[in-house]
Amino acid sequence: MLAVAALLAAACRTDTGSTSGAAGKSVSTSIVRGGEIVASVRSEPRTFNRLTARDTTTDLVSELTQAKLVRINKVTQAVEPWLAESWTLAADRRTYTIRLRQNLTFSDGHPFTADDVVFAFAAVYDEKTGSILADSLKAGGKTLTVSASDPQTVVVTFPFAFAPGVRLLENLPILPRHKLEPALKAGKLADAWGLSTPPSEVVGMGPFVLREYTPGQRLRFERNPRYWRRAPDGGPLPYLDRVTVDVIPDQNAELLRLESGQIDTMSGEVVPESYATMKRAAGEGRVQLLDLGPVLWADSFWFNLKPGAFAGDARAAWLQRDELRRAISMAVDRKAFADAVFLGAGEPVYSFVTPANKEWYWTGTPATPHDPAGAKALLASIGLTDRNGDGLMEDASGQPARFSIVTQKGRPRLERGAAVVRDELKKIGLTVDVALLDANAVIERLVSGRYEAAMYPILPTDTDPGTNPDFWFSSGSFHLWNMSQPKPATDWERRIDELMAQQIGSADYAERKRLFDEVQQILYEHQPVVYFAAQKWYVAVSSRLVNVAPALYQPLPVLWAADTIAVRPR
Amino acid sequence: MSTDITGLKGPRHIAGLKGAGRAEQAPPLRTAGPGPIKGAGRFSSRSIGVVIVAVWALAAVAAPVVAPHAVDDRFPGLLNSPPTVPHVSFVQRPYIYRWMLVNQLEQRYEIDRGRPVPLRWFSGGTLVQSSDEARAPLLLFGTDSYGRDVFSRLLYGARMSLSLALVSAVGAMLVGMAAGGLAGYVGGALDEALMRTSDFVMVLPAMYVALALRAVLPLVLAPRVVFALLAGIFALVGAPFIARGVRAIVRSERRLDYAVAAEALGASAARVLVRHVLPAAGGFVATELAMLIPAFIVAEATLSYVGLGFPDPIASWGTMLHDASTNIRVFADFPWLLSPAAAIFLVVLGLNLAIEDAGGYERTLG
Repeated sequence: MLAVAALLAAACRTDTGSTSGAAGKSVSTSIVRGGEIVASVRSEPRTFNRLTARDTTTDLVSELTQAKLVRINKVTQAVEPWLAESWTLAADRRTYTIRLRQNLTFSDGHPFTADDVVFAFAAVYDEKTGSILADSLKAGGKTLTVSASDPQTVVVTFPFAFAPGVRLLENLPILPRHKLEPALKAGKLADAWGLSTPPSEVVGMGPFVLREYTPGQRLRFERNPRYWRRAPDGGPLPYLDRVTVDVIPDQNAELLRLESGQIDTMSGEVVPESYATMKRAAGEGRVQLLDLGPVLWADSFWFNLKPGAFAGDARAAWLQRDELRRAISMAVDRKAFADAVFLGAGEPVYSFVTPANKEWYWTGTPATPHDPAGAKALLASIGLTDRNGDGLMEDASGQPARFSIVTQKGRPRLERGAAVVRDELKKIGLTVDVALLDANAVIERLVSGRYEAAMYPILPTDTDPGTNPDFWFSSGSFHLWNMSQPKPATDWERRIDELMAQQIGSADYAERKRLFDEVQQILYEHQPVVYFAAQKWYVAVSSRLVNVAPALYQPLPVLWAADTIAVRPR
Repeated sequence: MSTDITGLKGPRHIAGLKGAGRAEQAPPLRTAGPGPIKGAGRFSSRSIGVVIVAVWALAAVAAPVVAPHAVDDRFPGLLNSPPTVPHVSFVQRPYIYRWMLVNQLEQRYEIDRGRPVPLRWFSGGTLVQSSDEARAPLLLFGTDSYGRDVFSRLLYGARMSLSLALVSAVGAMLVGMAAGGLAGYVGGALDEALMRTSDFVMVLPAMYVALALRAVLPLVLAPRVVFALLAGIFALVGAPFIARGVRAIVRSERRLDYAVAAEALGASAARVLVRHVLPAAGGFVATELAMLIPAFIVAEATLSYVGLGFPDPIASWGTMLHDASTNIRVFADFPWLLSPAAAIFLVVLGLNLAIEDAGGYERTLG
């Protein structure tokens, strides 16, 4: 599910790339149970209640202490049974009958039943709670119907045949009804499990339990002795006894601590500027530097295409034209972009869906050539030419062909990306002003539509396009270039709406792929969002960690599978 | 004899009252703190300070001629490249060796000693350039993460940073001296109002005010608008620090005999304040200016961070330092990116030496 707050969460992190995808796996040697690792996050959790906050650290607390019905493996992208042992789909293709694992208990010993699942859905959908997860657990904007047919069986009915199916359930942490039901009934669930809650009250079915929270400094987790999952050898999981999460706001400090062995893993990836430092440390055996390949989602560059956004502005005649965006796509040398922005650790891309998303990438995506002359010709077709011989273009009214790009200050990747676009467009005569703002100011402008063009990372949480309707549908709240349209503003957006409606309703993968290929083709033709290069991701962990499964999953590239991480015996 | 509040020295001259008030004042007792250096040392330190500041001022003025490259010239294949060191030989013109990129991601370079590249004087409108600018540009302080010449940007940055700091400091001085002088001389309700206003400005959370201000301003601001805006903000924020000190000095000084005598002889309040009393705050104001100027240089970088500073690619020392701060390798591998810090240090040192010797730190007791 895409959402504005996902973007907010991304903004809080200094310089990271993208979400889940294929990844390598570090060498698993002899696994020894016990031990402790120290991880880092950039900010404190906003709450222990995952229903009300989506910041990275709250997400991490939830991942470590709560469990879900299914898990999407961040490496393989496959759906894995988790608290749900198995499920069957009825003939109507809407109703899933989910069989829960037996004899499971929460970390406080209370039995887990189907009522907890029903409660978790009720909590998420509760209007008073106003959960930020609610949208991500809807199909086509409609809620799922959930009931418990017996203590071990849950029946989930979708409003229509929804292709992603149970993938959607990965968004739901199963909360303890026996702890939180009174708060839900009192309409105060949103206030429950705040940061002042005693850690012992935060119970769940995740691999760890919260033991200590020191504001501004750290969180300590201990293994959950009642965790349900077993290791391949039949022994208990997690392997680790403790996980300590230090709050380190500065990325450079994070890297230095990792390099010096004070922490074992950090939030996000190794940015290109720090690669050499980490490589040196890896060469000395202090860290493992893991190459995950190009990210799934490149940074987006788009124009404000909301009708009337430039009313009264002479530039309205050309700022929202397809030709302008296509010309920009041709004018920017993507190789030079990757070299300058990612220090060479990037690959040219031409679509929202990058080749790293093997399941959904349209292999027919044309590689837009770097063609400044062609770009100039396209601009001339919409009246932009150099009329006074100063090397810069003017429009038909003689006004300079000039626009601004909004992006976030303090994120080298975005700052450099916008600067490269500015410099490349200057070569064809377009004048660009780069406005660097703090994250909140950028988001406020994007949401309110007070911008001309923007460069920003957009990070879906799942590779299946069916789980991102708010991006694809014209009515979507995250339809970047023109959000929440009452009806499609253009014919091609109407067509995308039709295709996506068919796509999420089809049970046949081949048919879904064909439909989504057509969506990507339309997007390529109209270029509402232009993509230049996808960063290659590197993740660093200390050399003492074993059995690590790093993934292109932005918030938690390593800790998404914390239960199977172990430490090398000293 | 004076009940010294500030510990700062009295007036250096009293126009129209030569000797009258001063004759009755006890000679100042200088503290053991930072005081003037006597004899040749005094001359030397002041000279050094003046020379340092003058060199930077000259560099700023002459940047278009001295800088080998424009402020936004990029060398895409030379991101974070080391400085090119000019070599001097008896048998050929001064020359440099070019840097070759060995590993792009690690930003490692090797020097190509196979082919010296001669320097070319007075060409392309600049003092000196490489004779092969495309392949082997002259990069005296290396390049930044965008591949831009740090030396050239340092010179252009000096224009922006020094002029902004100077204009802001002068603004702060004028506002601060006016407010402090009036408050100290007139006293009463005006004193109360001005000082409470100063207190209010001093406790304002400047960053949040800047953020709020940025939100209501147009998205793209022209550099001259940014300059005026920053100078105005800095002057306003810096003025209370001067006003409080000046007020204390004026309150103290106006009770002294020379001021009373000036009033008795019919000098107007404005004349007594401006000509006789305010000069007593000269040393204090000079000291404050020496502290405000570097603070303004750094503050510009802070405001740049929230989008209120100069837009890229305009160079200022603050924005250059901010860019450098995002790179963990700056100390170990790219120390030339810290050259703006060295420049700020030198300017501050020069200002301090020049002002110290001018008597700004002299103190009196009793």
